[in-house]
Amino acid sequence: MAIDIETVVKIAAYIGGGLAMGLGAIGAAVGEGYTAAQANAAVARSPKTSADIFKNMLVGQAVAESASIFALVIAILLLFVNVPVPTYLKAAALLGAGLSMGFGAIGSGIGSGFPGGEACTGIARQPQVTSQLTTNMLIGSAVCQTPAIFSMVVALMLTFIDFGKVPLYPTWAAYLGAGLSMGLAAIGSGYGGGLAAGASCEGIARHPRTATNVTTIMLVGQAVSQTPAIFGLLVSFILMFKSYPESTALSASMALMGAGICMGFGGIGPGIGNGMAAEGAVRWVARNVEHASDLMRIMLVGQAVSQSTAIYAMVVSLVLIFVV
Amino acid sequence: MGELGKLHQLIIPFFGHNITINLEVVVMTWIVFVLLIVLGLFTTRKKAILPRPLQALGELIVSLLYGLTEDALGREQAQKYAPLVCALFLFLLTSNWLGIIPHLEEPTKDLNTTLGLGLMGFVIAHYAGIKSKGFKAYAKEYFQPIFFMMPLNLIGELAKIVSISFRLFGNIMGGSIIILVVSYLTYNIVLPPFLYAFFGLFVGTIQAFVFTMLTVVYISVQVK
Repeated sequence: MAIDIETVVKIAAYIGGGLAMGLGAIGAAVGEGYTAAQANAAVARSPKTSADIFKNMLVGQAVAESASIFALVIAILLLFVNVPVPTYLKAAALLGAGLSMGFGAIGSGIGSGFPGGEACTGIARQPQVTSQLTTNMLIGSAVCQTPAIFSMVVALMLTFIDFGKVPLYPTWAAYLGAGLSMGLAAIGSGYGGGLAAGASCEGIARHPRTATNVTTIMLVGQAVSQTPAIFGLLVSFILMFKSYPESTALSASMALMGAGICMGFGGIGPGIGNGMAAEGAVRWVARNVEHASDLMRIMLVGQAVSQSTAIYAMVVSLVLIFVV
Repeated sequence: MGELGKLHQLIIPFFGHNITINLEVVVMTWIVFVLLIVLGLFTTRKKAILPRPLQALGELIVSLLYGLTEDALGREQAQKYAPLVCALFLFLLTSNWLGIIPHLEEPTKDLNTTLGLGLMGFVIAHYAGIKSKGFKAYAKEYFQPIFFMMPLNLIGELAKIVSISFRLFGNIMGGSIIILVVSYLTYNIVLPPFLYAFFGLFVGTIQAFVFTMLTVVYISVQVK
């Protein structure tokens, strides 16, 4: 059975759309479930504030849902995208877009459930600071979405940018690698950012007076946990925009795809680890605010060490792109 | 959708190399400078014990940022670095908010701006480190914990520049790409105002704050 080129592009778009929404549905659902579980516990502990807790739970879940909504947007785009000039290269790019968005939504979805849940517990513990907790929860979970937003940007670029005349071999592998690099690297960062945001909601509920310090350290900690996702973004930009000499040898293509896979998987662990470091720092700043600057410094140094594995992954993938 | 990934560039041949200038970014950066200078002039005009609204605004901004610097660096160092921190934050904030005005674009959407600012922070932090610890103690830190970790420590320091500048660039550029695509798909009808509020105002403020705080914290890690 011979398959013509339009069909190939359609197949790639449909598979990409399916991957984007299928994988993208995992994270947000888990995160929202965590928020709901904590809300139940909170209502049981303090039934008088159940109206506030319920409202907060719904707001938190709405924000946690955004990663899945990004995936939905990309999936629908891929289903109905209109490719003017169908090529095999475009097929690879569409598949890469689906992979990037699908994997990229997992971490942010799970992560942004944590601040919602901790804010609900916090309202039960300290009803006077309800509005402060909701604000902090919104900031924390919005910042958690950054890795998912990066994935969406890479997916949109792969879908819409016309890369011009580039050789099919090995560029097709570069596009798939770009999607994998961004999508996988976003998992850890999204989850880690959520850990930090959750700890900050808990901390503010325990010691409302330390809110300014706690929010500041939360933002810095989240920003550093996002570093692996930023490395993933960097590698996928290089993969997308570098021009490669034509080479039909399979090894050239596999080097590019390997670069994407290396950065993608290499970014998962450091993202979660950095998030744990930030979580610890944020939690203890709330209890011991006099030593906030020491805690922040130790958090940063610890994160830098735990990030070194992401840097190894980046070095290996840059070697794969530029040297091999 | 042709606008995606397109730039207006001025290319000047210079002894066999091409010097490329992104015209829009330069113009937008100058607009930010002018806005900040006007803000500075208006907030400091007719200073009085009983501040007028604009003076109160200026004092509020400066004292908030001064407090943040003092928390991270201590009273002595804060006097030295607080002006830098105020300038950096105000520049980034104005830059990130500029995109919500039609026909204007954020200068931070261009990697050159953010990379330049990231390099500036890196150089300042390391200069401060050498000055406060002395060159020997500063250089010794690269050989921790064992001497052969030196290349990796070095790469780790350089990766900080990449992460700080790509974080700002990715957020701002990502926001503008998402706004562009969504506006195109919905024929500019429903969603864009909300997206501008989220990506322009909210994400812009948070990223400006994060960039400033990270620069301060990098200085404090080097100094202490």
